[in-house]
Amino acid sequence: MSSIEGSAIKKVVIACDAGMGSSVMVASQLAKRLKPYSVSVTHTPVNDIPEDADLVLCQMTLLARARKSTGETVVLGFQSFLGDPVFDKVEAAIRDGGSLAD
Amino acid sequence: MTKTEDAPSRAHQLRASVQRFGGHLAGMVMPNIGAFIAWGLITALFIPSGWLPNAQLAELVDPMVKLLLPILIGYTGGRLVHGQRGAVVGAVATVGIAVGADVPMFLGAMLVGPLAALLLKLWDNSVGEKVGAGFKMLVDNFSAGIIGGAMAVLGSLAIGPVVEGITKALGNGVQFLLDAHLLPLVSVIVEPAKVLFLNNAINHGVLSPLGVTHSAESGKAIEFLIEPNPGPGLGILVALALFGMKAARATAPGAIVIQFLGGIHEIYFPYILAQPRLILAAIAGGASGVLVFSIFDAGLTATPSPGSIFAILAVTPKGGWFGVLAGVVISAAVSFIIAALLLKFGRDARKAEREQEVANGGTVKS
Repeated sequence: MSSIEGSAIKKVVIACDAGMGSSVMVASQLAKRLKPYSVSVTHTPVNDIPEDADLVLCQMTLLARARKSTGETVVLGFQSFLGDPVFDKVEAAIRDGGSLAD
Repeated sequence: MTKTEDAPSRAHQLRASVQRFGGHLAGMVMPNIGAFIAWGLITALFIPSGWLPNAQLAELVDPMVKLLLPILIGYTGGRLVHGQRGAVVGAVATVGIAVGADVPMFLGAMLVGPLAALLLKLWDNSVGEKVGAGFKMLVDNFSAGIIGGAMAVLGSLAIGPVVEGITKALGNGVQFLLDAHLLPLVSVIVEPAKVLFLNNAINHGVLSPLGVTHSAESGKAIEFLIEPNPGPGLGILVALALFGMKAARATAPGAIVIQFLGGIHEIYFPYILAQPRLILAAIAGGASGVLVFSIFDAGLTATPSPGSIFAILAVTPKGGWFGVLAGVVISAAVSFIIAALLLKFGRDARKAEREQEVANGGTVKS
């Protein structure tokens, strides 16, 4: 179990199976929301998550695969691609401070 | 107690490893989709039965599907295992199996590309590391050249014929199912696997390598329609938009646009995972779609990716739109009806919301 302070998050990675479909969509939605806080949001295949990610988000079903390659990085799962509460939680932590843990 | 705790975690582990394996297969194909689409468009346009028949341009079709696409897959497969050096030997090894084969060697490329890269990786990590600095370039280049060349020879003489036999046997299996009108049964496997995020693995790892053999022969393949058909997902999302719980009703309309027009099917999987009985609607929709496709002898020239209705129509061969659209529409209608029945036309959702209101101390509206 790791955790990270909202203020320390500079790079969020959205992972999906191929890194070209759903993750691109989620990343562009989240990038818009996190733009005011100068946090970068990128997308990758779940087998290929970059080491410099501060926070990784992926669909619940892919959590086990994501954790395999991320080591200490916080990995959060979302259930729904649209309007999942996790996205609000991430935005709130970055905006108001507070820690995120998996 | 431990037994019941173990079971789901073992199932999860199994799912994760199947996903991971499938992810590797799809990972060799998906970065190259652009080349597949180029091939599909050139085929649809310039072959004798295409939109703009042109003998000179039609000559591009065969080398693209028999050489370019397998080599790209082998290259990418090699790169996944061992970076740029792996990619190079993967491409070289793939040439060995692809040249002279009767069928497009996609499955073969998925095998020899990573295999050649793995051999080079083993070499690099054992012998290659001990080489003195001044000789590193010499040894690196020649080890890649020799391993790649040897794999190409081995592929041409031994691996190629075996994989070609397997590819043909699998293709015949699909043809058998088609002839016996049993192909709709594959939806029983495909739709649930899809929802478990094995969609790319199933489509790009299995169905599209099979379909390409078919398509190279006859200009179209039904295999390309099985997984990317957006109909079943559309029907379920429409049913959820009308009859789902409040949260689903709010998000489903946006999901319809993203799924049906944008081709991101993943968006409807969570709704099914949350209400697993909806999988019955997906299976029924998928199976009726495949049935309609096979009745009208529908097919696509290349795999549509993403599975958007626009991508599907773009790779539909001339004269094939009716069958393809009929299958999509029927599958959407069937999955909508079944999903609406399973959701009891919203009765459960309304009841749950009323109970919620009562629990919150609100007034009951009847």
